[in-house]
Amino acid sequence: MSITPYQIIAPLISLVAIVYAWGLVFRQKKTIWEGALWTGFWTAIALIAVFPYVLDYLTFATGFKDRQNALLITFLGILSFIIFGLIVRLEELEQRQTKLTRSMALRDAGLDGEGKDDAKNSSN
Amino acid sequence: MRVIAVIPAYNEAKRIAGVVEHTQQFVDRVVVVNDGSADGTASVARQAGATVVSHQQNCGAGAATMTGIDAARALQADVIVTLDADEQHDPRDIPSLLQPILADRADIIFANRFRQKNRIPFIRRFFNAIGNLVTFATTGRWVNDSQCGFKVFGPRAAREVHIRMSGYEFCTELVREAVQHKWRIAEVPIKVLYSQYTLAKGQSFANGIRTALRILLRSFLR
Repeated sequence: MSITPYQIIAPLISLVAIVYAWGLVFRQKKTIWEGALWTGFWTAIALIAVFPYVLDYLTFATGFKDRQNALLITFLGILSFIIFGLIVRLEELEQRQTKLTRSMALRDAGLDGEGKDDAKNSSN
Repeated sequence: MRVIAVIPAYNEAKRIAGVVEHTQQFVDRVVVVNDGSADGTASVARQAGATVVSHQQNCGAGAATMTGIDAARALQADVIVTLDADEQHDPRDIPSLLQPILADRADIIFANRFRQKNRIPFIRRFFNAIGNLVTFATTGRWVNDSQCGFKVFGPRAAREVHIRMSGYEFCTELVREAVQHKWRIAEVPIKVLYSQYTLAKGQSFANGIRTALRILLRSFLR
C-alpha cells in the first residue's frame, strides 16, 4: 500500500489540533465536552485520510461516484468554508458592536467603574 | 447579602412598572436594562424606582443581561437575580430561589417551570426540550429548564460570569459557564404565568433554529 503525503500531513495536523484543543481544556478555556467534540472531529479527518475507503459509505449515501460529482462536492466544500469564514467575521463584528453599546450604556449610567460611586450615592 | 435584580427589557413600557414594583419587595435594588426600546420603557422603569441602564440600540437578551450584571457588580451586588420584564415570572418565587444560595448549597440557581403545575403550551414545552437537548449537546450538562430567564447568581457566580452571546443563546452559555467554572448548580421549581401577550413575544420556530445554530457555531469557534 502506497502512502500519499496527504495521508501523513492530515493526521499530523489532526494531532496538533487535538493537542491544541486539550491544551485549551487544561487552561480552562474550553470545557472537557468541547475538547471531546473537537477530538471527534479531527479524529474523523485523520481516519478519512488514512483509510479513504471509509468514504465508500459516503458514496453509498450521497451518490458521489464520478469526477464531475467530486468536483461539485469539492467546490461546495470550498464555498461552505468561505461562508463559514464570513459568518465568523460577522459574529466578531457583532460582538464588537455589542461590546461598544454595552460600555456606552454603563458609562452613561455612571456605572462603568469611574462613575459608579456617584451613581450609588445619587440613587441611594 | 446585597441582592440586586436585573431585568432586561425591550418595549415593555406597559408592564415594566408592575414588575419593578413587585420585585423591589424581595431585593435591595432593581436594575432595568432598556435594550434599545422604542417606547417609554426607560422612563416608566425609572419612575417605578429602578436604576436604568439604556442600550442605544437593541442588542438582544444576552447582551442586556450582561450589561445588567455589570451594573449590579458596580453597585456591589453579592447576589444577582435575573428575571423577565413581561410578567411571566412571579417575584414571589425569589425567596425560594435564594434559599440554596443563602444555605451555601449552590453558586447558580436555575428556575424550573416544569416541576410545578403550570399551564405551559405544548409548543413552548417542545421548544424548551429542543433547547435543553442543544444545551446538553454543547455543554455535556443536563438542566431541566435551561432556557428560563429566571436565575440567581450567588457571590461566586456573580463575580465570575461572563456572557459573550448576545441573543437568547446566552441561556445555554450560562450552563457552559457553570460547567467551565465548576459552579454548584441547583434547580428550584417556580410558577410561570403565560398570557396571550407573553406568548406573542416568545421565540418563533425560525428564531429557535437560528439560536440553536449559533450555539453550535460558537461552541466550535472557541
